Amino acid sequence: MAWIGQLRVELIAAWAIAKKDMLIYYIKPNIIVSGALFPLFMFLAFAIGRPAGPSVMIPGLIAITILFSASSIEPVSIPIERRMKTFDRLISAPVSLHAVVLGESLSGFLYSIGIALVPFAAGLVIFGTPILTVIPLVIGVLLTSFCFATMGTLFASYPTESPGDIMSMLNVVRLPLIFISGIFIPISAIPSMAQPLTYCSPLTYGNDLIQAAYSGTTYFNPVIDIVMLLVFILIFQFAANRLYKKFNE
Amino acid sequence: MNAIDVSHLSKHFGKLVALNDITFSVKEGETFGFLGPNGAGKTTTIRILTGITVPTGGNAQIFGKDIVNETIAARKQMGIVHETSNIYTDLTAWQNLMFTAELYDVPKALREKRGKELLDLFGLWERKDDKTKGFSKGMKRRLTLAMGLINDPRLIFLDEPTSGLDVQSNLIIRDVIRDLNAKGVTVFLTTHNIEEANLTCDRVAIINHGMIAAIDSPEKLKGTIQSVQSVEVAFDPVPPQWEAGLREIATVSEVRKLGDKFRLITEDPPVVLDGVMEYAKREKTTVISVNTYGPSLEDVFIKLTGLDIRTRGVKTVD
Repeated sequence: MAWIGQLRVELIAAWAIAKKDMLIYYIKPNIIVSGALFPLFMFLAFAIGRPAGPSVMIPGLIAITILFSASSIEPVSIPIERRMKTFDRLISAPVSLHAVVLGESLSGFLYSIGIALVPFAAGLVIFGTPILTVIPLVIGVLLTSFCFATMGTLFASYPTESPGDIMSMLNVVRLPLIFISGIFIPISAIPSMAQPLTYCSPLTYGNDLIQAAYSGTTYFNPVIDIVMLLVFILIFQFAANRLYKKFNE
Repeated sequence: MNAIDVSHLSKHFGKLVALNDITFSVKEGETFGFLGPNGAGKTTTIRILTGITVPTGGNAQIFGKDIVNETIAARKQMGIVHETSNIYTDLTAWQNLMFTAELYDVPKALREKRGKELLDLFGLWERKDDKTKGFSKGMKRRLTLAMGLINDPRLIFLDEPTSGLDVQSNLIIRDVIRDLNAKGVTVFLTTHNIEEANLTCDRVAIINHGMIAAIDSPEKLKGTIQSVQSVEVAFDPVPPQWEAGLREIATVSEVRKLGDKFRLITEDPPVVLDGVMEYAKREKTTVISVNTYGPSLEDVFIKLTGLDIRTRGVKTVD
């Protein structure tokens, strides 16, 4: 069972990379504060004046917070590591590129969960927003965080040493996602021409699942939300693995 | 079994041919130098041998493991010291070392034991809990080398290990290379410092334009160009028209000024010695030192790579 041994090695390496990233890039006061504030202000900019109550707005805020926090650090840290040549250390280690991609995504995932606690706590303490079912919330936060962390790692595969190159590409994708994923405009109210785009957004399914915890209803079946998020995670993971390999050649 | 077997390796980047059908092998326990000017293909070769880059053609094996198809098995046997001191400057020396050990699956007790030994060996134990952003260039380089050895490799790739370092770091690293060799570790060394290769390598390969120009022991390579011998002489005082005067000495083909000395390149050193004494008498100066030299590895390098003559006279070739 050599593959089990190698799997253990790969997971240990991925965890080591995640710990390293947390120490260097994530556990810093400015990163944590900006990670929580940026989505909050963006949310307020679009949400103030709308008739929807906290039970609709808080899940949306959680989803946006996860989108931005999970996908923001790898596109900065990986180009910096390329510039410092420390990335060579990762891609020349005796583990597969899957372990490197997983490790980089794990750190974004953990960071995102931590940051998502801020809107969650705000909803609970300030607005007294009730949570009807906990399980969709937990699964929604975990899968959406991992999905967008892997998306960040995928974008960071672009072979540049400048974080700005990746962030500009990433924002071209992230900002439209907010408007087509049922956060500010219910999916049923999105024009039929734009509906296919809605189905292509992982944020749609993450938001739908988190909404289920607060409203008790979903646009899709929760099982479909979970399956779609898992499909996006696998696509991002394998695409990232392929692109890192290709760009190193 | 050889530590490295390279067969008909080639690498193309579009129309650019970085490596053109190179073949060589490195025996287990050997210290092997890989010399070449910038852009010759040294880094591409190392990136292929460490599994970072895939070759366009040919194959390479590390202790019998194909680097393309058995990448992980091949990498488990090697340590890599990259050209840049690629350490995490926001981590301490100890954290850097332990992180690398985890990447190589070194068990906890063993990595802590080896970590202490290596930091001791490289004179960094007292600074183990300091963030490395405050380290000097030499300390960073020593830590990089320690990180390359944390998995106790059978083969270590050293890419320019002593380039631009202080004397203390240079001496420590050279001692470590000798110790590794004595313990049977295979060392694959790329360097611009030809004297370093001359002193530490069992064999050297000279690569130029993506092709191996020569491969042999330093002494055998020097033996191929006996025409490049030299006489080194110092005068007190230095005659004012030294260049023209020294060039007129019979059989001198070239004069290089090296600090307060002059190196006269010749095929026949005894004839030049006579000429130098006559010249000193004529110029009313004193010969304060004189040495004769055979061809150096640098001469071989210059001849094989066709390096521009204006760069001669320096020991480090860029």
